[in-house]
Amino acid sequence: MNKAINWKFTVVLLLIGFMIAVQYNTMEYPETRDTRDIWAIRQELAEEKKLHSELLSEIRDLDNTISSYQSLSEASAGKALNDTVDKLRRKAGTTDITGPGIVIEVRPSAESIAYGIPITSISSDLLTRFVNDVNRFKGIDMEIDGKRYTVMSSIRVINGSTSVNGLNVSTPPFKIKIISPTMSESEKLYNYLLASSIHDDFYLDNLVLDINQPVKDLMIHGWPEKFENLYLEEQTKGE
Amino acid sequence: MTMWLPLLGLILGVSLGLLSDIQIPQIYSNYLSIAVLAALDTLFGGIRAHLQQIYDDKVFISGFFFNIALAAGLAFLGVHLGVDLYLAAVFAFGVRLFQNIAVIRRVLLSKWSERSKVSETKVQE
Repeated sequence: MNKAINWKFTVVLLLIGFMIAVQYNTMEYPETRDTRDIWAIRQELAEEKKLHSELLSEIRDLDNTISSYQSLSEASAGKALNDTVDKLRRKAGTTDITGPGIVIEVRPSAESIAYGIPITSISSDLLTRFVNDVNRFKGIDMEIDGKRYTVMSSIRVINGSTSVNGLNVSTPPFKIKIISPTMSESEKLYNYLLASSIHDDFYLDNLVLDINQPVKDLMIHGWPEKFENLYLEEQTKGE
Repeated sequence: MTMWLPLLGLILGVSLGLLSDIQIPQIYSNYLSIAVLAALDTLFGGIRAHLQQIYDDKVFISGFFFNIALAAGLAFLGVHLGVDLYLAAVFAFGVRLFQNIAVIRRVLLSKWSERSKVSETKVQE
């Protein structure tokens, strides 16, 4: 091959290579169109902002803990630690709590009594649905028929009857207590539950939800069982 | 060594295309694929002509661009007439591609056998 031919082949091959690469790009990574409209984007932005503010408040909480550790003198460091442990216990639901809250009574509907339909235990699906619905409010503490409901609690069917934390929920009527951080939030929850469509779900199971007005001092019991510590070990003080 | 220059061009073209991240709209990808086929056909035609010593610059370069344009034009016409005319181009270029490659193979084979004969005779001498 002489040089002039070589150059022409080179240019032609360069063009061919470029074309093949572009074709490959087009086939392999098709451009996905962004079909979200402005409201969808706004909604996503709002979600991210919510997450952002939640993270910020968490950081603030932790900062407070750190500064309380630092400001306390050596002697009362134990107290600070105890405070933290108490806070964690409260969060885990092992302590009794008093605060503003509402009492909800679950009872059989008037129709089912009139028709003489046998009253059965509340179904686990319905109870889970209710708990999920209520859990959209942050920072609440709940007690279902005297059983404390925490993040570690389970709602299960054991031998045909619905149980919370492994203990049977009695057949209706029974009470559900929900404590909110503040009175206003308790009122918000009350208003939400009054208008919620969860009533229809209960009514299909021949049950009625009676939601009482928020009260200032409601007491719910702690989770009586101890936590089993499987993974953490006590560290002896540094040498 | 001069064989490496065209190869370098190919590699350069491919990497340029991949790195530039250019994409053409989906509806035009048919045209590009047919153009690639036409370009490959011309390329192998050129190599064959070179091996048969009937290579002509003007034929090669004009064939390259004209074939691409013709193929894309045919595809365009097919889309607007509702007939898949680009299949005709695919068929024509495909057949020619195979023929050209077959000829190149034969020429290279005959050259290689001639060379081995020459070396054998040299060894005998």
